[in-house]
Amino acid sequence: MTFVHPWLLLGAAAALIPLLIHLFDRRRPRTVPFAAIAFVLRSQRRTASRLKLRRLLLYALRTLVLLALPVALARPELRETAARAQAGHGLAATAIVLDASLPMRFTDGTSLFERGRALALDALKDLAPEEPANLTLCGLGAGPPASPGFERARMHAALEEAQPTYGGADLNRCLELAAKSLEDSPLPNKRVVVVSAFTAPSLRLDLPPPTLQGPKGEALRVEWVLKDAAQGRAALPNHAIVDLKVEAAPQVAPRAYQYTFTVRNYAAEPVKDLVALLKVGDRTVAKGFLELPAGGSVQKSFTHAFETGGVFSGRVELAADGLAEDDARAFVVQVPHDIRALVVNGAPNNVRYRDEAFFVDAALSASNSPVHETLRDAESAFHETFEAYDLILLLNVRAPSPEVAARLAEFVRKGGGLFISVGDEVEPDAYNARFGDLLPRAMRLPKTAALAKDADADAKAAKFGQVDFGQALFTIFSGKAQEGLMSARFYRYILLESADLKAEGESAQVLAAFDDGAPAFALARRGRGRVLLYTSTVDRTWADLAIRTAFLPLLQRACALLTGSLEEHEELRATVGDTVALKGDAPHTLSAVKGPSPRTVPLRTEPNGQTLVGPLAEPGLYQPLDEKGGAMPALGFAVRLDPAQSDLTRLKPEELTAYFGEGAVKQGGASEQERRTPFWTWLLVVAAVAFFLEGLLLRRG
Amino acid sequence: MELLDAHTLSRLAGVKLRSRAVMEGVLSGLHKSPHQGQSVEFAEHKEYAPGDEVRHIDWKAYGKLDKYYVKRFEHETNLRAFLVVDSSASMGFRTAALSKLQVASTLAGALSYLLVRQQDAAGLAIVTGERISDVPARSSPSHLATLQETLEALEPRGTTDLFAAADHLAEKVRRRSLICVFSDLLDDRPDALRRIFQLRARKNDVAVFHLVDPAELTFPFDDPTLFLSMEDDRRIEVNAREIRESYLEEFQGFLDTVRADCAQADVDYVRVRTDQPLDQVLLAFLARREGSRR
Repeated sequence: MTFVHPWLLLGAAAALIPLLIHLFDRRRPRTVPFAAIAFVLRSQRRTASRLKLRRLLLYALRTLVLLALPVALARPELRETAARAQAGHGLAATAIVLDASLPMRFTDGTSLFERGRALALDALKDLAPEEPANLTLCGLGAGPPASPGFERARMHAALEEAQPTYGGADLNRCLELAAKSLEDSPLPNKRVVVVSAFTAPSLRLDLPPPTLQGPKGEALRVEWVLKDAAQGRAALPNHAIVDLKVEAAPQVAPRAYQYTFTVRNYAAEPVKDLVALLKVGDRTVAKGFLELPAGGSVQKSFTHAFETGGVFSGRVELAADGLAEDDARAFVVQVPHDIRALVVNGAPNNVRYRDEAFFVDAALSASNSPVHETLRDAESAFHETFEAYDLILLLNVRAPSPEVAARLAEFVRKGGGLFISVGDEVEPDAYNARFGDLLPRAMRLPKTAALAKDADADAKAAKFGQVDFGQALFTIFSGKAQEGLMSARFYRYILLESADLKAEGESAQVLAAFDDGAPAFALARRGRGRVLLYTSTVDRTWADLAIRTAFLPLLQRACALLTGSLEEHEELRATVGDTVALKGDAPHTLSAVKGPSPRTVPLRTEPNGQTLVGPLAEPGLYQPLDEKGGAMPALGFAVRLDPAQSDLTRLKPEELTAYFGEGAVKQGGASEQERRTPFWTWLLVVAAVAFFLEGLLLRRG
Repeated sequence: MELLDAHTLSRLAGVKLRSRAVMEGVLSGLHKSPHQGQSVEFAEHKEYAPGDEVRHIDWKAYGKLDKYYVKRFEHETNLRAFLVVDSSASMGFRTAALSKLQVASTLAGALSYLLVRQQDAAGLAIVTGERISDVPARSSPSHLATLQETLEALEPRGTTDLFAAADHLAEKVRRRSLICVFSDLLDDRPDALRRIFQLRARKNDVAVFHLVDPAELTFPFDDPTLFLSMEDDRRIEVNAREIRESYLEEFQGFLDTVRADCAQADVDYVRVRTDQPLDQVLLAFLARREGSRR
């Protein structure tokens, strides 16, 4: 029973008035000497019991009037749930489906899931003892429910322990599984109680509603009971980060990254001055404000430069709303360390601009360059300890001795990068002989496309013909930058053996070729390292690439590529519910993956040696651990929510009615289906009757 | 209080009081004597029965009819009346102009005046609890003043004791007399009134003037009331409105019982409300007695 104006119940204290009057009213009686007192005594004795009963009746009636009136004015209503009301319709096998998807985490003090849990418990309580039931938690990884049974305590415990997931709910499938589970029940009636917030992404109305078949294949009617965890709220206002891109921003700083995120407002009202934060670790490094239009989205970028290289994790956060989970997006960024490069100048020249390493030196020593170069001539360079460097650039260097070649091969196999450019000092046969398989492809003869001094040299010179801009080396070239690259002229270059004439490792590939098809850049992975062969010169002797604007970023990019920085920047894009394969050699030593919560993340190794992690149940940062339990930062990754689940647009009651049919019982909505009996009218009738009887008693008395 | 006011006396002046039955008296007057044989006017013959005086046997009739007959004669005689006034404390109750005792005194005074005026003897008995004071019956005009002074001096006190009154009268009244009892009859003892009726059994002419206050008839109380007994220490607090119906039933039952008992005992019963005109009460009483005489 509930009251429309509960404060009026205070008036019920008036019911004490008759009692108080009885207790405290001590009026002095009028004293009368009376001759016929014997008759008074006799009358009093005769009527004493009757008068006592009458007084009690009067007291009760007056109390009833004074109690019924304020209670009636408080407008009491007897509420009876529709489910309870339907209990009389016959026993039914019942499947309770509780939505445990991300939208159920929406809270306005109490989460929708908590409300849903209470509704599901109510549904469980409303069941008759003879009604079998089962429970489906419809969220991430929901499976078919057990057959309906009578283990109420276990279902109750399961509901009490249930937690919402971070994934979406495929209500259509959950309802189908729940309905199917009722088919074997001998009871003729089947009921499915659905507890959900009924958001648009959770239930596809374009799919047919689940149906049931009897043992003879006949269609069975399902009684749908829809319990609205959102209690009829027309809208669940929400905004969310639906996208985040983390990109290097070398134009800002050597280790600068740009964080571009998209925020969508699903509410019908605009949002002003929404605070957005960029956090690296626990430190806020950038802050901004957003103006979100109603139902629209806004893109915003933060830039942050790291002081050192390494693996960093962080979050982009918005001021939290009802669904706080989608107001943050984690990321992992691997900032390349400074590259220690040994530049081996094969053709030094006293005239600086004619020096083989002049343009390379200029490019690598630019202010934003991540490369720390050490410039040596060939003789002294080969006495260096190669392990002290990440990268060795052989610029038009004569073929080294077999010993040096072996050291270089070992350097590469251990993970070092080797850049080879050619020129007049390079003898293809000698290179082929000394380096052998270390080269991406064996060299053939030099080819002269034009002589630089010719008047029509530019016309005859070779140009880039095919460039794989999808490769990390060239991804930065777009628009005018691409034009700058493609305008380079190559007068002479060394041809390489074709792929079928030389055993080529799986990892060898041509990244760019001249317009005659001859490879310009060939890349090969050798052991843990890489070798990039450029078939022309890095000075102006054979080509003018060195004086093109594309040369500096191209060379820096090549350094990054050879040291593995570019590859590691490829973000592992994983969504809640996914199972991901970890890349690289490290998974072989993987022992566990630590997620955002202490919960264990499932981990398994495929026969091909690939390590699969997942399904990933939570959004946030995941940190793989090695066999000793140590963190492996390079393999860390972030898991995001499915942006579609942030759309909390509510399905309309009429849409649900159209989907489930007119017979569907809706509860908890604005059009509350509880049966309300206006009890107060009966109280008024009782008060009136009591008042009438009181008057009658007084008159007769 | 001035008893027998002019208005009341002028209304009673033409009325002759006659006793209903033949009374034994020594004075001739308007009354018929119960003693046959002393009057000159023959009345009837009556067959002799043991106990009749032998000297009244009509020997001539015996000679003719061979049966003994007694001659009976009508004889004018004087009336001897006793007025018994209950002066208990309950008679002092008053909600009208006069208390019950004042009304009783007035009525008794008026009757005594009438009696003396027609040369009948009037006596007075004042009952105050067990104490009885009386004035002997005489017919002299000067006696009237004594009666009236006695009545004038009455004060209500004591309890109602009809036993005492009846016993006193039984002892005092030797001859047949008219006995008028003025009382509210509020004697709780069940056979108190029967003792009065025994006077009637001794050939006396008995009339009971039952005095009732209007408040006793209507019980006009509403609020919680503390009723005090006027004759003893009984008291009761009741909501008068609640018990009115029951009280009226009880009291009406009492009145009906008294009336019925009086009728059964051949006793004249006159109910007197203290707020009704007293001349009408006396006129009605005298008229009824006159009618019964004829």
